[in-house]
Amino acid sequence: MAASTDTNNRSLLRTARGKLALTAGPSTIWLGLLLLAPLTFMVTVSFMNINEAYNIVWQPSLDNYGQLTGPGLPWESSFWNTAFMESLLLSYVIAIVTTVMCFSLAFPLAYLLARKGGRVFKIVIFLVLLPFFTMYLVRAYSWLLMFGPNGVLNATLLKLGMISEPLAVFNFGVPAIIVGLTHAYFPYMLLSLYASLDGIDFSLVEAARDLGASRPAVLKDVILPLALPGIISGSLFVFVPSLGAFITPRFLGQGKVLMIGQLIEERINSLYAIGYGSAGSMFIVLTIVVAFALAFRYVDVDELGGV
Amino acid sequence: MATNTENTTDVTTVERFFDHRTRERWLRRGLYGIAGLLLVFLWIPLAVMVFLSVAQNASTLFPFEGFTLQHYAATFSDPGLMMALFNSAQVATVAACIATVLGVLASFALARREFPLKSAFRTFGILPMIVPGVVLGIALLIYFRTLLSAIPVVGDLFVPGFLTLVLTHSVYGFPFVLLIVSARLYTFDEQLEEAARDLGASPLETFRDVTLPIIAPAVGAGFLFAWIRSFEDFIRAFFTKGTMDVLTTAMFSMIKYGAAPKMNAISAFIVLVIAILLAVAMNLGNVTQYVAGGPDE
Repeated sequence: MAASTDTNNRSLLRTARGKLALTAGPSTIWLGLLLLAPLTFMVTVSFMNINEAYNIVWQPSLDNYGQLTGPGLPWESSFWNTAFMESLLLSYVIAIVTTVMCFSLAFPLAYLLARKGGRVFKIVIFLVLLPFFTMYLVRAYSWLLMFGPNGVLNATLLKLGMISEPLAVFNFGVPAIIVGLTHAYFPYMLLSLYASLDGIDFSLVEAARDLGASRPAVLKDVILPLALPGIISGSLFVFVPSLGAFITPRFLGQGKVLMIGQLIEERINSLYAIGYGSAGSMFIVLTIVVAFALAFRYVDVDELGGV
Repeated sequence: MATNTENTTDVTTVERFFDHRTRERWLRRGLYGIAGLLLVFLWIPLAVMVFLSVAQNASTLFPFEGFTLQHYAATFSDPGLMMALFNSAQVATVAACIATVLGVLASFALARREFPLKSAFRTFGILPMIVPGVVLGIALLIYFRTLLSAIPVVGDLFVPGFLTLVLTHSVYGFPFVLLIVSARLYTFDEQLEEAARDLGASPLETFRDVTLPIIAPAVGAGFLFAWIRSFEDFIRAFFTKGTMDVLTTAMFSMIKYGAAPKMNAISAFIVLVIAILLAVAMNLGNVTQYVAGGPDE
């Protein structure tokens, strides 16, 4: 008996198929049951009829989507004139501005890190990574202390006599949310940019300069094209979580601004409105699928694994 | 005449050279300046928070009323908060163990085996990291609460609580282990294993004595990543935790009810603990390389 188990084990390890089943099998099953199945179920629920007690009636219907959008078709303005659609558009704007902010802040630092190595690099990376590893909730909370009419920013400026009454820009709202999200996702951009800039042969830059290219021309024609995979993967890793952000707009919007993640969360947690929640989530999922499909035209999936 | 021309060119070259040097210097200063400002931007809110955690007046800088440690004392004697901290550590440990076992096995499949749909397998593997927390949280909540809980006999297991949260976080932590360990395996010299086998070691002995010691730092780093991800996650836990509280959800309700002093103290404490963990990890293994995916060792 014992001997036969032993041979079984051995043959499992010996054949190629056995090895594959042993290594790739468990995670495929696990992710299949706990990632693919739930997402598929959510897509299904979003296209089903949900009754007033929030139970699923197994009848295909577009009612859930009808709740989110206004009456009419996408090219009519009534279609966009609902709380959900307005919040969706606002979320896109916030996510795009955050991505642009992260890129313009991270690029100079990533460039510097790629050109310098050694001790300075290790210290700077530690200083960047530490806030990154710190709880996301803590970082959003730390900005909650900074903003607001009595927040640290306004209080300090008032104390210094630089302003006579609290500035609106340091109050809670869209600018505060953008600052909070930039702070939260900046390291993703930095690390992606660094990973691709670090692989660049900088003698190419010198060659271009020697051949008479101006600095902006070198940036545009040499550095940016070579850093493109990093720019694209960094942008995805900032844009996607910003779009579905929940804590940051909750803390830094203080109810004045509602992003799509907050709307969905509210309906699910207070009412368990699974139809509304899953249909709303589909907008995020669809945006991600489109964003990744666009990205894959320029970069390989392997290059996206940088973070 | 000829000498004159020569002179002029000489002067311009020299001027250009100096001009170039000055510009280079200013450019470098500008870059360092931006980098410095960025670090200030990253650090200022955290520094303010740490400062407020030891200030008598915990809500804002002014009026400043002196230093105190009473907020820390109150935080660490709050039974609800300490229970939540304990729950978080438990969930993170179990979830990271599952993620590590599955992630290490899957890394071997990626690095060692050739099979159809390999790139799909890889994309599928990093998907939990890409799907936004709100979406993953809601999808799993509906799946557990509406679908699995309806199954007779075992359904009760899937009522949101400890188990569902562990399952959720095991999925969330998986990609981090996969990325780190597979990156290590790609650079692994397989001849070492062949040599061990030629010298008569069994596959399991080879794994234990040759493979494992070499990939151990990467496995450790993967576990640490998965652990931290679970520990710091709020949104996925918020949906699948049921009535149990973990640290992040307890902190979230504290902010809702405006208990800032304790929030400052527990947050500052977390920053400190993570700083120590990160410094240790960076000295043990090349964390930056794992994170930034830089050139392989």
